Amino acid sequence: MSREPKRGHFAKEKGEVILREHEYDGIQEYDQKLPNWWLFTFYGAIVFFVGTWVAYYHTDFLKNDQQIIREKIAAIQAAKMVELEKTLATLDDSKLVHRWATDAALVSAGEAIYLTNCSACHAADLSGTMTVGAHKIPLPGLPLDDREWKFGGKPMQIFRLINEGSPPESTGHNGAKMQVWGQTLNPKQIAEVTAYLIAKLPEDFKDIPAN
Amino acid sequence: MTTSITYDDRSVRRFMIASLIWGIIGMLVGVIAATQLSWWQMNGKFLETITFGMIKAEGISFLTFGRLRPLHTNAVIFAFVGNMMFAGIYYSTQRLCKVRTASDLLSSIHFWGWQLIILSAVFTLPAGFTRGKEYAELIWPINIAVVLVWVVFAINFFWTLAKRNEPSLYVALWFYIATIITVAMLYIVNHLSLPTSFVHSYPIFGGLQDGLVQWWYGHNAVAFFLTTPILGIMYYFLPKAANRPVYSYRLSIIHFWSLVFIYIWAGPHHLLNTSLPKWLQLLGTLFSLMLWAPSWGGMLNGLLTLRGAWDKLRTDPVIKFFAAGITFYGMATFEGPLLSIRAVNALSHYTDWGIGHVHSAALGWNGFMAAGMFYWLAPRLWKTELWSKSLANMHFWIGTVGILIYVAAMWAAGIMQGLMLGQVDAGGTTLKYEFMETLESIQIFYILRSFGGTLYLGGFLLCAYNIWRTARSGKARDETVQVAILERPKKDNMSWGEALFSDPLAHVFLGMAFVILWFFLPPHADKAALVVAILLGIKAFYAFKASKEKWTNWHERIVENYLPFSLLVFIAVAIGGSVQIIPSLIVNREKNIEGRLQELYTPLELVGRDLYVAEGCYNCHSQMIRTLVPDVMRYGRFGIGDDYSHLGESLFDHPYQWGSKRTGPDLAREGGALAAGSKYMRVGKRGNDWHFDHFLNPRQTSPGSNMPSYPWLFEKTADVKSLPAKIAAQSRLGVPWPAMSQHEIRDLAESQSQEIAASLVAAKVYLPDKPDLQGDALRNHLAKTEAVALIAYIQKLGAYREIVKDSPARPSSLNPDSHRRNP
Repeated sequence: MSREPKRGHFAKEKGEVILREHEYDGIQEYDQKLPNWWLFTFYGAIVFFVGTWVAYYHTDFLKNDQQIIREKIAAIQAAKMVELEKTLATLDDSKLVHRWATDAALVSAGEAIYLTNCSACHAADLSGTMTVGAHKIPLPGLPLDDREWKFGGKPMQIFRLINEGSPPESTGHNGAKMQVWGQTLNPKQIAEVTAYLIAKLPEDFKDIPAN
Repeated sequence: MTTSITYDDRSVRRFMIASLIWGIIGMLVGVIAATQLSWWQMNGKFLETITFGMIKAEGISFLTFGRLRPLHTNAVIFAFVGNMMFAGIYYSTQRLCKVRTASDLLSSIHFWGWQLIILSAVFTLPAGFTRGKEYAELIWPINIAVVLVWVVFAINFFWTLAKRNEPSLYVALWFYIATIITVAMLYIVNHLSLPTSFVHSYPIFGGLQDGLVQWWYGHNAVAFFLTTPILGIMYYFLPKAANRPVYSYRLSIIHFWSLVFIYIWAGPHHLLNTSLPKWLQLLGTLFSLMLWAPSWGGMLNGLLTLRGAWDKLRTDPVIKFFAAGITFYGMATFEGPLLSIRAVNALSHYTDWGIGHVHSAALGWNGFMAAGMFYWLAPRLWKTELWSKSLANMHFWIGTVGILIYVAAMWAAGIMQGLMLGQVDAGGTTLKYEFMETLESIQIFYILRSFGGTLYLGGFLLCAYNIWRTARSGKARDETVQVAILERPKKDNMSWGEALFSDPLAHVFLGMAFVILWFFLPPHADKAALVVAILLGIKAFYAFKASKEKWTNWHERIVENYLPFSLLVFIAVAIGGSVQIIPSLIVNREKNIEGRLQELYTPLELVGRDLYVAEGCYNCHSQMIRTLVPDVMRYGRFGIGDDYSHLGESLFDHPYQWGSKRTGPDLAREGGALAAGSKYMRVGKRGNDWHFDHFLNPRQTSPGSNMPSYPWLFEKTADVKSLPAKIAAQSRLGVPWPAMSQHEIRDLAESQSQEIAASLVAAKVYLPDKPDLQGDALRNHLAKTEAVALIAYIQKLGAYREIVKDSPARPSSLNPDSHRRNP
């Protein structure tokens, strides 16, 4: 700095730089007015605080979080029902066996979904077991390759079982029920998984006629 | 009259060396914990490889992420920054007061006491002794030690102030005062707990009250342990190193008072979109936004002090570290308010964005301010030159690159995972990605993060080496100076009346009182209170204009009087917490709950819950479905429109376990109803055998999982013996346990564990370590294990009953939400 700063206590005008007289262990302090952008940020945040509180508590414009989320979820569930109806209208046992399960692209999409979501309980090879060392240990899910379908072996029954999870009257396998996969998978994905199972287990579905 | 005094620099050297050592350890644990998220084998299995199979383990309890992460956070916060802060405070306070620290004995007790506390943490945390609250994990006997040592520190510090030979307090001391007072207040309240044994206790608050108190503490641990003392250190060491006057004294005043007052209110921003009442969420967000300017005031006063000294940035590593540290402070305190906006928080919370945010501040601000201070102090404490300037420069660049990699990786990971978790399918009715897919997609960033952290640790090692060589090249010597003795009449001569009954304070307190009335008064009266508050604000503005001289003189006087000043600081920091916490303690209780109320745990489920806490599951799993579409779609139950977490669902949880980060999925709806034909056993989303397999090897049930394996749960016996003491303690805290004798408790636990064990045996589970156990022998073994207790707890998660009240709840003056037409 070329010129000596003014000494004193406090700056009185904008742009004025005062070097305060007192020193602390050799540390000096200037005093100068604060940048406007800083002041406006501060004041602006205070005004925003008052405005937001007034808008929420003194008017009825704003809904509360619970109302908002309930409405959004209700809309999603309604859309889901429509989506399911639409899919069901285009599906039947015969189509699943003779169209979906014969379409390699759909079957491989189904396989990918199966491996991500289903194999942890039903095993990648559909056996419902895994091998640890020399042991074959049952997994939480029922085996799918044993030709037994506890809740009905028609393709559409399997579709509904996946979509809705274990039926309410089921006591579960070792107490555990299958979850509602319709929550995680959309109807098309469920149809794809069904198609994958049909393709993997042709024996179980060979009696379904083509129409 | 002048006299010669010798400063106590030995304490400064001790704290500094301790900070360096604990810093290395704390950061090393951090790096290990970071690698555990990429490679599950780092949870103990790696020992098998590096010892060529001498140690056999799928996982080792004291090395798991859930136990190491608390060790990392506690070590870097309380050991690294704590010791660094004490070094800075002891050095600068003596010089700013022109007096030797009041008592060498107290300094020694402070130093050794603090190191003993850290040492005890190093053993207890990995052993699984924890209170289960973040940064407040240490068990109650250690809590008491912390409070005692802190009181010793406070006495030593305030005694030094009382003996000072300098009439007025420099701004650095204001920040130290705020630190000491506020940390004491926060620490004591958040650690109030009822012991059940020498190593275990329950926090006296439960559910949302516990969450509120926790983040009032957690957020302000950041504020008053990691920010205010470091600001004080900045105000002393930066002008010293730059040899420039501080930019603006009035900015010091304004940003000090606004910072300490506003910071305290911002805690609830850690609980946005949860079942925390809306008014608290609003306060959290709005005060965080108001905090932006005061925080940047500190940054401005730091950076603008460097005006005229920027050339030193090229040559002086100290200035380099300070300038970068303050810049990181500015970045982090801009990001903080941003993350407190509810819409941003909806994406960022529970992801790695938060981790990136804290590390930009911790590594950038705390770590670099520490390094700058060490490099400045070492030559002065050992009367020599810094051993190597170029090594310090190298530390700077390695550290900076490390931080940038770390933070960028966490931003990318957090934003990407947050977006993926909310991504819906084409139809908009299902979510596109499974949780595991989102975790797999950020693996690359986790590896980058470990790399960035390792670089930073490398830089810090250079620092420690450089300081060690510097110390060896010089000789420890305490500085002696001549000071003029200041007689009593020249300091601390303001009467309490003059200090407290003054115009500025009257305006501030009245204004504040009406703002608080505005929050709580019933409709219309609240608006009137707001009008009065605004009018008082305008009046204060004109009163200040009219008597500027008087008002400024009052402040000049108050900083010459440390006791009234400290009292005002205490009042400023006590208001926010009182306004937020006290109403919640009164309003949010069982009798006021409508809708859902938590089902009580059975004794065995309580054992499981304590295990969940001890294993640190909360470090990766939340139990809170926020009022957000992706949360409800992912974790809520199908067909239930309002299946977000309700306030009553965790009301009796001591401690609350809402979590703060989801490295794994939320568990709030993991449990379920009683199993068919069972008296106690419940089955939730998944069967008991699924959980059995999952604890044994998470990758078996969830391929790609990075969760540790928990083989010891299948060996160790669940602690049923201490249940009577635990249940008695919970009853005293207000959890409505039914009256049970010791035998009843044990029988109940036994029946439930046998039921679960039998279901596992029926499902033909396989225990690899005990392949020969079959049938009844296997059942009896499993029934005793921790695994079964933990399964019991997991299957209970989220259980509640519907409460129907005869008459609708009446509006309460302590609950602003109850006055809304749509509460």
